[in-house]
Amino acid sequence: MSDRRKSYPLVDSTQPNLLEDMFDYGLPPKICFDGPIVEYVDGQPIEFDPRALKTRDIFITDTTFRDGQQARPPYTVDQMVRIYDLLGQLDGSSGVIRQTEFFLYTHNDRLALDRCRELGHRYPECTGWIRAVEGDFELVKQVGLKETGLLTSCSDYHIFEKLKFKSRQQCMDAYCKVVDEAYENGVRPRCHLEDITRADLEGFVFPFVERLMRMSEQAPEPMKVKVRMCDTMGFGLSFPGAALPRSVPKLIYKMNQEVGVPSHRLEWHGHNDFHKVHINGATAWLYGCDALNSTLFGYGERTGNPPLEGAIFEYIGIKHDLCGIRTEVITELAAYMQSIGFPIAENYPFVGRNFNTTRAGIHAGGLRQDERIYNIFDTTKLLKRPPRVAITDKSGADGVALWVNECFGLDGQHRISKIKCHKVCRWVMDQYEKHGRMSAISDDEMEAKVKELMPEFWNKHKGVAQAAKS
Amino acid sequence: MASVQERVIAVTARVLQLDPKEIKVEDHFTTDLGAESVQSVELVANFEEEFGIEMDEDAALSVESVGDAVKFITEVCKQQGVPV
Repeated sequence: MSDRRKSYPLVDSTQPNLLEDMFDYGLPPKICFDGPIVEYVDGQPIEFDPRALKTRDIFITDTTFRDGQQARPPYTVDQMVRIYDLLGQLDGSSGVIRQTEFFLYTHNDRLALDRCRELGHRYPECTGWIRAVEGDFELVKQVGLKETGLLTSCSDYHIFEKLKFKSRQQCMDAYCKVVDEAYENGVRPRCHLEDITRADLEGFVFPFVERLMRMSEQAPEPMKVKVRMCDTMGFGLSFPGAALPRSVPKLIYKMNQEVGVPSHRLEWHGHNDFHKVHINGATAWLYGCDALNSTLFGYGERTGNPPLEGAIFEYIGIKHDLCGIRTEVITELAAYMQSIGFPIAENYPFVGRNFNTTRAGIHAGGLRQDERIYNIFDTTKLLKRPPRVAITDKSGADGVALWVNECFGLDGQHRISKIKCHKVCRWVMDQYEKHGRMSAISDDEMEAKVKELMPEFWNKHKGVAQAAKS
Repeated sequence: MASVQERVIAVTARVLQLDPKEIKVEDHFTTDLGAESVQSVELVANFEEEFGIEMDEDAALSVESVGDAVKFITEVCKQQGVPV
């Protein structure tokens, strides 16, 4: 084996190298690539250029009202309209959140669709979702949609065991009959290949999609069929070298390059049964699939779908720019969803109560000196969520001082030193050391103690802090 | 008026709940006298109150021994015009 060792002499410096080219605090960290990716497909090296992501028109689609709704009690019409409105605000008219989809089966489904369209947001565009049966297509015609998803399950588990087709040919013919009907009625079909990562790709999936491509040949571009690859059970793998049908890179490549589905008509839809849902979605983007289907906060069937807010930050990281997206609306969406009973774990990225809360005193010390040390990006600017400390026995004087300054809305040279907070620090420590407390100290308790033990600071600053909050 | 050293030892004894007679000038606050993190902060706060001075937080918390504290506080008092 060749010796690959290299020598790395110290590059001494008296100034810090904060790698700010990649870690611009005002943005999520930039995703940078420094070379091509090579994946072996059928034994041949195929090169991909990830740097193309920066200029490709990748985008996000939403299925909060469909897959997201399958996992919970139905939204009311008012709730759907509010969520849709916030999605439109989040998109900021950028078109990054390109589409969303609606069930069409009930009166409320259709009422919600109508009221969402009345809001006049260009994005996300409203589309439908139906089973690939002729009767269901009537629903699409009634509501006047331009595009609809059709459930065209593609693994033999579904074709034979669930749908009870007698043969793959019978199944394909049935699906294509509904696609024909879509074209006859001027509606763009989007075929959802359910369970694709457990399907016989060469035996059914690729022949089916080839037929869809032939059916689309005479259609104008805005009507050509779209293909959504559904990793229904979360079996997809992002690893280089993984085998089909689980390999996301190989699946995207074959669909895009061998079967010939253009990137802008390919969509990825995943599930999180093996904790891979977000990275599989980003991997799909990387290897030539332009659309990533997602739900708000990843909520969906069983373990959920690619989280939309995760896709948003991934997108910004790839593009090195906010691109008109209003990321602060993510916080508003989370607050609204929680207000209607939607659970969000405290440690959930970007929106959980504690996603940027530190408990350890040593981390709080770092935060006090430079919040970049323990905050992933400027969460105040991008999410209206300043970094916080939770006060526990681990917080120490640094944690208490950080809490006090946040309470008073002080930063920079106006911050109060931990020396001035010593009485509150002592009170906190006594809770645990003398009184045997086990729980964290709530914000309300801390406010009461700061008011009691630091009255001169309270009187001076609290009025300023309250004005800033309002 | 008690000397700076006497006052530093008195404050240290009060904050750390020690017998002042047991505190020596060469004692380190943490390793010899057992001052923990919050107690170090309390020591600085009480020194400020005792002497009527404002100390730079990082500089004050860097002082390690009783003797160093005497020198540091003496210098700060001189800079801030506090007679000792």
